[in-house]
Amino acid sequence: MKMKLEGQVEEVVNKKVTRRGFLKGMGGLSMAALMAGSPMLKYFAMASPEEAQKELVSKWIASTCQGCTSWCPVQVKVINGRAVALRGNPYSKANHGEICPRPHLALQQVYDPDRIKVPMKRTNPKKGRNEDPRFVPITWEEAMDMIAEKMMELRASNETHKFVLFRGRYSYMRDIIYSALPKIFGSPNGISHSAICAEAEKFGAYYTEGYWDYRDYDLENTRYVLSWGADPLASNRQVPHAISIWKKVKKQAKIAVVDPRLSATAVKADEWLPVIPGEDGALATAIAHVILVEGLWNREFVGDFVDGKNAFVPGKTVDESSFKENYTYGLVKWWNIELKDRTPEWAEKICGVSAEQIRRVATDFAKAGPYAISWLSPGASMQVRGGYTAMITHALNGLVGSTDHEGGVVQKTKVPAYSIPDIKPYQDEMAKKNSKKPKIDQRGTLHFPSLKKGKSGGGVVTNNAADAIIKEDPYDVKVAIAYWANFTFSCSGTDRWERALQKIPFFVHITTHASEMSHFADIVLPAAHQLFEKWSFLKSKQNLYGYASLTQPVIEPMWDVRQDETEIPWLLAEKLAQKGFDNLYRYFKEQFKDPETGKAPTNSKEFAVTAVKMFTRSCWDPTDKNYGKYGEKLKGWADFVEKGVWNSHRFKPGKIREKYKTKTGKFEFYSLTLKEALEKHAKKHHTTVDAVLEATQYTARGEQAFVPHYEPAYRWGDPSEYPFIFFEHRSRLNREGRSANCLWYQAHKNADPGDENWDDVLKINPVDAQKLGLKNGDKIKVVSPTGSIVVKAKLWEGVRPGTVTKCYGQGHWAYGRIAAFDFHKRIPRGGNNNVILPPDYDRLSGSTARHGGVTRVKIEKISQA
Amino acid sequence: MGKVQYCMVIDLEACVGCSACDIACKVENNVPASFAWSNHIIETVGKFPDVKYRYIPTLCNHCSNAPCVAACPTTAMHKLDNGITMHDPSKCIGCAACRIACPYDVIYFNDKEPLVREEFLEPLIPECTSSQPGIQKKLGVPVGYYNPEREATLPGIRPRGVVEKCTFCDHRLAKGLPPACVEACPANARIFGDRNDPNSEVSKVLAKNHARVLKPEKGTEPNVLYIGEF
Repeated sequence: MKMKLEGQVEEVVNKKVTRRGFLKGMGGLSMAALMAGSPMLKYFAMASPEEAQKELVSKWIASTCQGCTSWCPVQVKVINGRAVALRGNPYSKANHGEICPRPHLALQQVYDPDRIKVPMKRTNPKKGRNEDPRFVPITWEEAMDMIAEKMMELRASNETHKFVLFRGRYSYMRDIIYSALPKIFGSPNGISHSAICAEAEKFGAYYTEGYWDYRDYDLENTRYVLSWGADPLASNRQVPHAISIWKKVKKQAKIAVVDPRLSATAVKADEWLPVIPGEDGALATAIAHVILVEGLWNREFVGDFVDGKNAFVPGKTVDESSFKENYTYGLVKWWNIELKDRTPEWAEKICGVSAEQIRRVATDFAKAGPYAISWLSPGASMQVRGGYTAMITHALNGLVGSTDHEGGVVQKTKVPAYSIPDIKPYQDEMAKKNSKKPKIDQRGTLHFPSLKKGKSGGGVVTNNAADAIIKEDPYDVKVAIAYWANFTFSCSGTDRWERALQKIPFFVHITTHASEMSHFADIVLPAAHQLFEKWSFLKSKQNLYGYASLTQPVIEPMWDVRQDETEIPWLLAEKLAQKGFDNLYRYFKEQFKDPETGKAPTNSKEFAVTAVKMFTRSCWDPTDKNYGKYGEKLKGWADFVEKGVWNSHRFKPGKIREKYKTKTGKFEFYSLTLKEALEKHAKKHHTTVDAVLEATQYTARGEQAFVPHYEPAYRWGDPSEYPFIFFEHRSRLNREGRSANCLWYQAHKNADPGDENWDDVLKINPVDAQKLGLKNGDKIKVVSPTGSIVVKAKLWEGVRPGTVTKCYGQGHWAYGRIAAFDFHKRIPRGGNNNVILPPDYDRLSGSTARHGGVTRVKIEKISQA
Repeated sequence: MGKVQYCMVIDLEACVGCSACDIACKVENNVPASFAWSNHIIETVGKFPDVKYRYIPTLCNHCSNAPCVAACPTTAMHKLDNGITMHDPSKCIGCAACRIACPYDVIYFNDKEPLVREEFLEPLIPECTSSQPGIQKKLGVPVGYYNPEREATLPGIRPRGVVEKCTFCDHRLAKGLPPACVEACPANARIFGDRNDPNSEVSKVLAKNHARVLKPEKGTEPNVLYIGEF
């Protein structure tokens, strides 16, 4: 026995640890005692002598964390080829070397024993949640051949538009797989996840100041933070920057958090405004009302009454000519149409926040202006009627002059990067014709205006694609590829996605894990992990710095994986070319050249690096026209690889306000920009704006549609049957729903206030729990009009009576053996909120309405704790 | 210079309760998922809407008057010259007297094979996914992210039958690096150093602030101190 064990030891230590050192480290412990019983213990590592420690080759290598969309520059500590630790990238001016808990968790993703190692082929032709796909391993060659074959069938039948590319999370290599691939092949269907993310937020900034993007926040200089469901200490955006500066912010500023839940940021705030979910608009309009009535608007930005006397008296209209505006448009119209009656007393009854607190917050916020931040988040906007709430909450920044101002809310510094070369020369007649066919998600139809950047059908309606596929409207989808997505888990109304995927005759999933979406796939392709195994780059901003941050293979890929956005389209292009359609391959070969050597890529790996170099050239190549124009001058590609991040100049507020990209060029309180967009959409459908509002579930009619205004919360479920308003929130440990198979995620889940380790709890106020006879840990069924889940009850004072809340992230029935309670029996650990959340939308932005208490629920006790 | 006495000051005002410390500690020290050398106490007090939430990061207090050391029958648990309460698994008989003696519940007993997860013994999908033994075979380590640097002063993974706990990352201190939790804290809420050195940052912070310790009534003289309010 002993001899055998010693042999194993030698094999394991692999010359890194000498036998003498190993035994010394063992001390007085019996080797046999240690090794007995477990085959794993042969890998037991014991204290090693100093020489062995010296043999460890350790290096920090730059990459980027995509655990949330802060996209923080990080460094990975690699010892003898393995990733063993993470830290913030010290070269980054955005997160200045800090990281939140998420990057650490990524180690348990890349080294997850449940990761897919090789391409898999389904052998059970029947698809369904209760069908075992019976996956078997195949080679990349076989897999790509099968996919290309199916795609060529669409070319043969002139149905290339029936190909869909679903995109979940992405890097800025995205346009190769998401845009070039479908368009050159001949499909309009690049369907992004964006509308389940936060598009409604952008609606607010766009229809007030013409900016369709996330804002940045000057926390360094602010005197007031008014958060609308934003939880920057825990989740999107700029988490590490917010954490590192919060003590300073708390000292110099007041912090007020509007959230029905005592969030991670609310616990570190001065004021908690536990709003009734979905009624944020009442609170926000009342704050605007108070600011005007009390004469606390910013004169420099907004302007003033000609006679200097404040005529904003509750209930009274004001003559438009009596007020002269500076950087804004339509203040008096806004007052007359919407704000004059929105008193705190009116709002109190609707939103559940006291008039006294509304007045105090409004007054303090405005007095701090323009060094004040009204921080809009998905919580207050990804609601059925959230588009206008997004507008009001952002318009508060206009009132106090904090938009594009020091200490306030700002846009961004350009990050110079190129996208894909022109694809048009590579589109044949079929591709040109078919890629102009309507997209599968029904965007731009009467019920889905999806007015991204003012254009009817300008944005995606991600979640509606499932219904459209089921109904074959506008057509039947025949081949689909999804990457870095898990819509059967991450979209509300998960059952519809199960049915939709079941219906697609040939579905390919590119993923690291066998997820809920993979379960319906014909082919599963194992993806490289973005942080450790992939070439790409990200553009983002934090702390008023824009940046481009690289991801690179910091380790040899663990398994037979490929990079999703570059290598896989290349391999597919090769196969399509072999089968007679070489346009995509020629496009890659002819249009992608290494900026340093001028060489075309000869294989998928070279293609990945070449593309990153091309796209990021402005950051590091002195011969590029934008080199140094917007920020740092990195000294060549090697320098970029070494540092991993390019930082912009610090954003200087004050210029954008001179000419906003709105219809009027002003910050619009009366949005002519929105008016034009709505009128165009109405005209397209030969109807009126009022009819559009009716079709999109909004209550406003007439002029109210063009100003930020209050809309009553829209909820599913009759209160008599479903007594509780359900709302969900995010976890500081979620890597966008992909970390539930990490042991550390489960073991530290109670870092989310109110949550429990290794569990998934519905948080309910003790007052309500008592009425239902519920105690901590009781097993309960949570039932909405569209679904039910089984979780545990958690009695918690941090949630408003009458409402119940649960974190998103748990409830996987696939993904792995930690994430799922029983992977093979498809029993989830906890419950997925998206099972009970009905599939509804803020149709003006196309967004999925996952917030705002979109559904009511009832709670049934199953068993005692 | 007198004797070194390492000490950690945790600024609760800066702490946001994110748990990065807890996870970074596990990463650095190869701590099993079910243990938490770095941990936290949480409580929610008050009634809606006047509710307060508190989060207090915890770890071994490296007490100057350490009950675990006094309780240990074999000197496995012992004090180092720099004030660290250290454990030598080769002398540990697994009696767990230290665990019982510690008023802070920060000592963990390996009652099963460390880092072995039964869930991961077999591949999830045969031939398509890996397993923990599969990763061990490929990489030659117990878990993919195994940190060999921990082996400098302690078994990289502590065996079944012995206790384990925070060592203030003594192996990092030896290289002039702060403990992993200190480096990982994005709020910079942890200050580490020699409290016997009047010029150290901890000494300066302690001079300026009213610092508290957990369970002072136990007379353990902890070397983890807290300032500010969460």
